[in-house]
Amino acid sequence: MSSKVVVSAKHVTKRFGSQVVFEDVTLDVHKKEVVAIIGPSGAGKSTFIRCVNRLHPFDEGTLEVLGHTLTGGGHSPSREILQDIRTRVGMVFQTFNLFPHLSVLNNIILAPMEVKKIHRQQAARQAMELLALVGLEHKAEMFPRRLSGGEQQRVAICRALAMDPEIMLFDEPTSMLDPELVGEVLAAIRRLAQQGMTMLLVTHEMQFAKEVADTVIIMADHGIVEKGPAAKVLDAPATERARVFLRRILKPTEVAAEAAAPARGRF
Amino acid sequence: MQAMFSAWVQYLPQLLRGVGVTLELTGLSLVVAVVFGFILALSRLSHIRGLNLLATWYVEIIRAIPVLILLFTAYYSLGQLGIVLSAMQAAVVTLGGFYATQYGEIFRGAILSIDRGQTEAAAALGLPSVAIMRRVILPQAFFAILPPATNQLSNLIKDTSLVFTISLADLMYQTYSALSLNFLPMDMLLLAGIIYFIFYLVIAKLLGRWELNVQQSRS
Repeated sequence: MSSKVVVSAKHVTKRFGSQVVFEDVTLDVHKKEVVAIIGPSGAGKSTFIRCVNRLHPFDEGTLEVLGHTLTGGGHSPSREILQDIRTRVGMVFQTFNLFPHLSVLNNIILAPMEVKKIHRQQAARQAMELLALVGLEHKAEMFPRRLSGGEQQRVAICRALAMDPEIMLFDEPTSMLDPELVGEVLAAIRRLAQQGMTMLLVTHEMQFAKEVADTVIIMADHGIVEKGPAAKVLDAPATERARVFLRRILKPTEVAAEAAAPARGRF
Repeated sequence: MQAMFSAWVQYLPQLLRGVGVTLELTGLSLVVAVVFGFILALSRLSHIRGLNLLATWYVEIIRAIPVLILLFTAYYSLGQLGIVLSAMQAAVVTLGGFYATQYGEIFRGAILSIDRGQTEAAAALGLPSVAIMRRVILPQAFFAILPPATNQLSNLIKDTSLVFTISLADLMYQTYSALSLNFLPMDMLLLAGIIYFIFYLVIAKLLGRWELNVQQSRS
């Protein structure tokens, strides 16, 4: 892929106190590229994408996002830079995080009105178009608590898209959903990928990652253990660590049987 | 019984004059307490170390001291330092300053009770921190504030009765001066108690209805 690099991490390290979350993460994301980040929990996947829009500071290295350079170690970016990054990078959370005191429509138009100073009517019109795309225009006046998890997450996607972002970050968007609601959210993300949105997607949905992602990254043991085209990484991983992880995810029953096997003789 | 009613009818106008002062004092003190309390809450939540420390010490010290000591300090001791306050001013400063610690802690707790994900979601959309507070956190915190704030308001009303000790002619003062002339302590205190109870009922009712409205508007 030869197009423009929009996110470039160089040797980024993040610690919580003395505990290393991830170290020496180096990664380029190109315009229109869909990057799926997979790996065991605690590997720092979510923390890493939260560094991209600076919800978390990091300790070492540099992170270039849309032409701005974030650096580690207590250097805070200026308010203007932070706001520019955050208005151009959208984020969808595992727990949806809709604003419970606002209707669906008001959830979506809050940021366009507050940050971009778009007139209410125009913001509402755009919001209704976004809601229609995910089949929720009839829920515009409802409050989030009346919606199912899948509907809430689709609204959250609309809320992020209302700022017209250039990059979207998805932090395990379907992990909190009942299995039958996962499909509707994945469909919305898939459509976004097809439209050419640049995306960083932390997920446990391997099949989905293989289908929509150009690049798959496996994070484990505090760093990137494997990185490459989706099909190659998922079907023929080069490293042992990646193979172990993938086998546990894709064939959990076999792994469980093996783990139980040695114990069997003792009883 | 007959005698008590006729005493009530006779002295009610005098007590009602005190009611006006009590209401004025409650209103002014509440405004001071809420505004100053909000400043205290934000200061204690701020990362500016000096401000944070100052607010924390103010809250910890003031709320540990009996209101009567604070009241006498404001009315008598400040005079020694050349700061002469009228009885009403001293009472408003004392009750406002004391209840600011109560309201401040209520506000702070309510703000902290809002899920971190709300701040993160708003920040990720590019909202500046003032807008996050104003449009996302405070409207939700408000919900958690109403019940304990109502409680503190009824405490405030009862504590206004302390100002009779500095001769501010509130309901308690009028009651006391009536009973020291007519020697009917039972009749007068019962009447004053009933009036305080009516305050409480009205406030509880109004705020209860308000709370219900807020709840219904969000479902």
